[in-house]
Amino acid sequence: MNRFYLPLVLFLVMVLEGVALELLPVNITSGKSLIISHWVLICLVFSAIFYDDEESNYSLIYAIIFGLLIDVVYIHVLGVYMFTYAITIYIIKKLTRLLHSNLASTLLFGILGIILADWLIYLIFTMIGYTDLSLGDYLIYRLLPTMLANIIFLILIYPILSKKFSQWQVGYSS
Amino acid sequence: MSLFRKKRLFILLIGIIILVVLIGYSLRDRDRLTTAEQFVSDTVGWAQSVIYTPVNFFTDMFTNIGDIKKTYQENQLLKEKVSEYKTLIYEVQELKEENEELRESLEVTDSIRDYNSIQATVISRSPERWIDQVTINKGEQAGVKKNMAVITAEGMVGKIQSTSKFTSTVQLLTGFDQNSRISASISRKKGEDIVGLTEEYDEENHSLMFKIIDESDKDLKEDELVVSSGLGGVFPAGLPIGKVKEVIPDQYGLTQTALIEPSADMYDIDHVIVVDRTLEGTDDMMDDEEEGE
Repeated sequence: MNRFYLPLVLFLVMVLEGVALELLPVNITSGKSLIISHWVLICLVFSAIFYDDEESNYSLIYAIIFGLLIDVVYIHVLGVYMFTYAITIYIIKKLTRLLHSNLASTLLFGILGIILADWLIYLIFTMIGYTDLSLGDYLIYRLLPTMLANIIFLILIYPILSKKFSQWQVGYSS
Repeated sequence: MSLFRKKRLFILLIGIIILVVLIGYSLRDRDRLTTAEQFVSDTVGWAQSVIYTPVNFFTDMFTNIGDIKKTYQENQLLKEKVSEYKTLIYEVQELKEENEELRESLEVTDSIRDYNSIQATVISRSPERWIDQVTINKGEQAGVKKNMAVITAEGMVGKIQSTSKFTSTVQLLTGFDQNSRISASISRKKGEDIVGLTEEYDEENHSLMFKIIDESDKDLKEDELVVSSGLGGVFPAGLPIGKVKEVIPDQYGLTQTALIEPSADMYDIDHVIVVDRTLEGTDDMMDDEEEGE
């Protein structure tokens, strides 16, 4: 039963992303800076750190599945989030071996993940012509506010998810 | 070790190939979504509509608190307006009746102004800000089709981008590009309407570019209302799009481009109306529409 909780949490977070903009005040959303909620990615980072062990690759599989779901539901260009989330989680999974899992390392991996994923998304969208923002503008108006907002989210859910994910880890309770 | 590296590189390359194929497939001008995509959209859409109601309740509550502070001043202003409207409503009714009578006498029953409206609620907004799309809770079952206009009480907000059985995606005006033009007009005396096409949305000026293809554009003023002209074949005529903010000549000085500020607020959309034009465009016009609107 425990193995169904992780996809359920990810699905719920993905659905919540759709109303994320409603929660912010209008003067922030209509301003020049762009805040993108990468909540699913944050949860995937948590699962890479606390849910997966050395051998299992659940976080990577879920990164591909939920990346594709986000593409279908929110982006309507298939592959963008699937590819970026998969690569980001793959790299973070490789790095988790180097550090102990605690708040500081989760923060570090979270920041790294958001920068990497969002930058890859910027790169792909620039290539297919969905945006013509210059790199400097992108860094100031999109990457910085996005990173700050998502880090706040990460710190807020850290106490719950870090505990729950290590509890749900396959083989922990059974 | 080198074998392991090679394998990793191989997987990365395959991943990039899949990415390119998928992007190429979805950027193609598709008439409809695949069944799998529709199924996923509907399932997630159902969950979204469940979540949206309580979230909306709370956000509404906070805006209400803010609104209460302004109530007194607004009330004063609205009272004045209401008294103006009373006479206006009477006039409009008279004109409508007269219009209908005249139409009947001419035996013209269909007009490009007529439309059936489909009420819908926004259930989510794309978290990716470069994709200006919202999802609404009505789909093919309710009669929503691709390219239909979507309006709110204030004016046009966008058009239907894609549909599935129970939900559909709306492309907002802020996300309009070169390929989604609306033929629009500014009302003048008969035969002298200023007509043109709205082109892409300009992020820097927060306005739509309205390219005037007519020569009667000398007396264009600020704050004039731009409405859809219905000549594109899919949108009905008379939907308000926005107000003229500024007029600039193009680089050769031959045509003029007006910057239009959309009259609807793109960041605060709850309830929308999907507009189904009663008068069908001919097939030729529909083909134009692919490039046109």
